[in-house]
Amino acid sequence: MFILKPHSGVPIYRQLSEQIRRMAASGQLPPGTELPSIRALALEHAINPMTVSKVYSLLETEGVLERHRGMPMTVAKPARTQSPPAKRVAHLEPQIEQLVLAARQLELGEDEVVEALRNAWEVKDERPVHRRTRAR
Amino acid sequence: MNDPYIVARELGKSFSSKAVLSGASFEVGPGEIVGVLGKNGAGKTTLLELVLGFTPATAGSVRIFGYDSYRLPGAAKARIGFVPQQDELVNQLTAADQIGVIASFYPRWDDALVARLCDEWEVDSRQRIKNMSVGQRQKLSILLALGHRPDVLILDEPVASLDPIARRQFLEQIVEVAADGRRSVVFSSHIVSDVERLANKIWILKDQRMYWQGDFDSLKESIVRLHVRATRMLPESLPVPNVLKLKRNGISATAIVKDWGPDVEKRLSIELEAEIEVEHLALEDIFLELHR
Repeated sequence: MFILKPHSGVPIYRQLSEQIRRMAASGQLPPGTELPSIRALALEHAINPMTVSKVYSLLETEGVLERHRGMPMTVAKPARTQSPPAKRVAHLEPQIEQLVLAARQLELGEDEVVEALRNAWEVKDERPVHRRTRAR
Repeated sequence: MNDPYIVARELGKSFSSKAVLSGASFEVGPGEIVGVLGKNGAGKTTLLELVLGFTPATAGSVRIFGYDSYRLPGAAKARIGFVPQQDELVNQLTAADQIGVIASFYPRWDDALVARLCDEWEVDSRQRIKNMSVGQRQKLSILLALGHRPDVLILDEPVASLDPIARRQFLEQIVEVAADGRRSVVFSSHIVSDVERLANKIWILKDQRMYWQGDFDSLKESIVRLHVRATRMLPESLPVPNVLKLKRNGISATAIVKDWGPDVEKRLSIELEAEIEVEHLALEDIFLELHR
């Protein structure tokens, strides 16, 4: 369900919370989706259960997840049907940072990168790869 | 917050006049997994042995479950599990006999757990210990430390001889121990990647002292490598505190900085009129940088 890289410089709790936020914002995890238990997720990735519980609590406070007594956590209904683009773009920050860093190392200019990004975007648009989330 | 299980204050140990550990203060609470890192001879084993009460402290104090570690009553000892660096298995016994001997010391020995782990970890209980491989012995001694479901589990280099599959099984077992949030684990390891997965707290020992300790997430967030590119010559030192290392080359530089944060970044970019790229480091790199 999640891709965690313990050996990255980004702490595991940040990797996990960013992925859940992003997947919830994009609808990849629709409202009501059940999340694995703390124990199950910790075991699957051999990570500290406290890390998972920290992420779940953080996202509960942010309103991304909902806690139910004795039941799995679920993805919360967003306050509005969809958050504004500016807010959703914020979820891309880590990827953008990485991209800019790599581009700089390759001594590429802004125009070249934007151009490449646009090309990648168009290629992706031509293929019907966009997965619709099933109604629950 | 629950009371911590382990509390050490200015803990030290020296032989004649040579200090093997000094001034270590730390706490371990329920549910925590502490990873202890350090070069050989940095004081890791000494620290663990002091916590376990194997040897008396020569300075400061360490308490476990509220008792002085060196004067631990039997009931408190029964709540501790320990895997030593060198196993203490009896060569002539079979695994089953060895398990029986250890089990007899503990009223709340969990036979079902031990049987399940023997099966999953492929420890043959009929095999004589002297015929076991180093890896098998290590698995058996970990299993023996888990059998009484200790509240505090202390492991000194527990996985040095395990293959990757056995190591993963071991890590999963540690997750199980910590999962209910009432038990804690302290383990030293040279295998930084295991520490990176599991630890929520890190202790880095260096030169017989506690060099860095704290929340693992903040360690990763607070020690960074900077790539600085200015438009004019950079000064000989960076105008921020806690620069651990600086390599300067005209208008560009790389630096390792401790206690990093957004405000430090802002200050630095304004004062140097430079572009600054921040690279977060994996634990192994952090460990290496702290030892250069």
